[in-house]
Amino acid sequence: MKKVININFQGRVIPIEETAYELLKQYVESLRRYFANEEGREEIINDIEARIAELFSERLKKGVTCITDDDVKAVITSMGRPEDFDAQGGAEPAGAGQQQQRQSQYSFDSSSIRGRLYRNADDKILGGVCSGLANYFRIDPVFMRIIFVVFIAALFWVYIILWIIVPSQSIQSNITKRLYRSSEDKVIAGVCGGLAAYFNIEVWIPRLIFALPLILGLISGGFEAFWWDWDFGFLPRIITGSLGSTLFITYVILWISVPVATTAAEKLEMKGEKINLNSIRDTVKEDLSGFRTRAEKWGNEVKESAQQFGQKAKEFSQTAGTQARTFASETGPAVRRGGSGLGRVIGVLFKAFFLFVAGIVAIALFAGFIGILFGGMATFPLKNFILDGFWQNVLAWSTLFLFFGIPIIALITWLIRRIIGVRSKNHYLGYVFGSLWTIGLISAIILGGILARNFKSRSLVEREVTQFQPPHGKLFVEVQQSNVRYYGGDWFGFEGDDDLPFYGMNEDTLLINTVRLNVVKSQDSAFHIFKVQLSRGYNPQQARELAEKINFEVTQRDSLLLLPKGFAISRNEKFRNQKVLVVIEVPVGKRIQLDRRINNYNWFNVDFNRRGGWDIDWNENWDRTYGWNGNQEYIMTPDGLVPTDRLDQDELKRGRYKEIQEKFDQPEEEQPSTDTVAPATKDSVIKVRISASSSETSMDEPYSSSNSQMDVSSPLSVFSKLFQ
Amino acid sequence: MNIENTQSQMRKGILEFCILSIIRRGEAYPSDIVDEMRGANLQILEGTLYPLLTRLKNSEMLTYRWVESNSGPPRKYFSLTPKGEVFYKELESTWNELANAVNSLTSKRESLVSSANNNNNPIEPI
Repeated sequence: MKKVININFQGRVIPIEETAYELLKQYVESLRRYFANEEGREEIINDIEARIAELFSERLKKGVTCITDDDVKAVITSMGRPEDFDAQGGAEPAGAGQQQQRQSQYSFDSSSIRGRLYRNADDKILGGVCSGLANYFRIDPVFMRIIFVVFIAALFWVYIILWIIVPSQSIQSNITKRLYRSSEDKVIAGVCGGLAAYFNIEVWIPRLIFALPLILGLISGGFEAFWWDWDFGFLPRIITGSLGSTLFITYVILWISVPVATTAAEKLEMKGEKINLNSIRDTVKEDLSGFRTRAEKWGNEVKESAQQFGQKAKEFSQTAGTQARTFASETGPAVRRGGSGLGRVIGVLFKAFFLFVAGIVAIALFAGFIGILFGGMATFPLKNFILDGFWQNVLAWSTLFLFFGIPIIALITWLIRRIIGVRSKNHYLGYVFGSLWTIGLISAIILGGILARNFKSRSLVEREVTQFQPPHGKLFVEVQQSNVRYYGGDWFGFEGDDDLPFYGMNEDTLLINTVRLNVVKSQDSAFHIFKVQLSRGYNPQQARELAEKINFEVTQRDSLLLLPKGFAISRNEKFRNQKVLVVIEVPVGKRIQLDRRINNYNWFNVDFNRRGGWDIDWNENWDRTYGWNGNQEYIMTPDGLVPTDRLDQDELKRGRYKEIQEKFDQPEEEQPSTDTVAPATKDSVIKVRISASSSETSMDEPYSSSNSQMDVSSPLSVFSKLFQ
Repeated sequence: MNIENTQSQMRKGILEFCILSIIRRGEAYPSDIVDEMRGANLQILEGTLYPLLTRLKNSEMLTYRWVESNSGPPRKYFSLTPKGEVFYKELESTWNELANAVNSLTSKRESLVSSANNNNNPIEPI
């Protein structure tokens, strides 16, 4: 009694016994593996399947109710098993259609191929160079591929040149070895067992390699517990640190990308034995006597789940593989059409470039990802200042792992499977990767949204700094050296990076130097200094609170105005793009000199929209920015700041600066002027301040506006303005 | 040195030549090619034929078209391209040379050693 199922096979509905179906599936799988590195693989499999379907329907027409095991076996015999192809010798025709075909038409003895270097047309990933070289040196192509991948930088051009100059040739190789995960010899996932079988070494060797970082870590950890200052030096750090995590990730990726050897044929392939009916039978017998009796139920269960995992894993390479195939088949004909000359070279370069760039990008991203994962993010202090609460942290982690990590792992998986030649037509792994990535994408979007919302509102607090007029009509502006020092083991000791809006931080404190200094013309005859503290926040209230919390103390000593190096925000306040704008109003005829260290500030743009309501009378001056150099004396003229050494004395006397020159000569006259009463000058540009300014002089009167339209473009974009 | 390996090596070289010669006569369906070859007592597996056809097609020796069949989906019929024709001609001349060479060699009866012996006669000690 057997179950009959209906399958849709190449456009025909075939009723088939379940066992026969399993046989058929295995057969097609074996073909798929056999032609794994063949260029027209899909087409060949399709043709064969179509023929099988045709044979089945002929059989059904004769009145059989369904396809049985025997029918399938008969069909397989007529089509031939992969192992028969080798024996028959037709599957590897001598470079069918290859240009170089005639060259070895007479050399039937395979040993004569050894004498010359060919690219292998039948087992290739790119151009068959590695495979050909491996054949030349009589080693496993995988070794050659690993060498080329590892030393990609040095060997890239070697590969390209060999690809171009070495003729292609079908080389029959007897290596039918493939990397599988061992289903019998396993501790975690059988990766080490599979590697041992593949490289024909004892299984403890790969296990030791993978476990070594862990063991060493434990040992050195023990030592460190006894001797605090004991440093194991360079080597153990490498092993326990970057190498350890790399090996861990390598193991996981191999776990995902390498299929489990489940069928007898696969187990033999794993060990690299020649597959034929006898050896399969032997293995099965071995299985029956030992393995199966031992742990059938348990083993099957585990194997099934492992196999499912493997199946999922197979899928991804399939999709990626087909895409690469499509790409290759698109370039392939183009290459041929282009003839043997330039077109071929270009095509080869193009194709090579694509895959090599993909490889390099993957490796670089992978390294970066591991770096971030194990070095930075866990202790990355900046996140404390941006993220708020548990869920935002969860979102950030899922963005990092899924949105950025998954494509990298997928790419690596694809490359590995490409190198070891695993193929499958299942799509599970793609779905898994796809859905994980989608989750990552969604969390990235949500996180972005939340963060954007946290920065949505803006507010500002404006104060006039108590100010007495500097003697001699000249103001020096200097930046204090920071007297804040942070000590501690987890100090992130970077300072003054121009590209970052902060210049130092530790776990709890972030030092920010988004400070801008504007020197504008005073509308009366007195110096005025205004400090505007800006911040963003979830709502106007929060933004304003944060703005008020900014601690940026401007102090004055005689003619010296001291500005802090930056301001600190604590972990509780969060980083919400806090900024400080210092506006110095210099009356016409007075001088100012700026410290060079002002350049250390991170400039930001102040962009005014007058509709948006900073309706303070002096705000019109703000968008007039003056370029200046540090440590240079400037004088305020009716047209703006001018370096005093550029105003030559004659011109000053002759023209409209005459007046300035007079003031210049006797600056003491201007000295102690009151706030609102401007001295009677002939210059019409200087206006008397309107009465509103009286409230501004009171120091603690803050002004805030939630909907003013300040540009928050990144400070670094405007940093260069300083040097214009 | 095993006999099967040598045999398969011998077959290998002529397989494409035979297939091309069959297709050259007119459009052909793969399983008909197999039947034709088996009829001529040249064993070939279909699993061997399909990859070969695909390779020949990919290198533009062959082309195919879909022909509707009265049962089931359309079938692929292969035919020779001009490039394939040139290729075939070269193979043909190679084959003729080879066949002549092999025939003339294998049809000879007299031993090289005996003639050598004749030449060596005078030196032969008595």
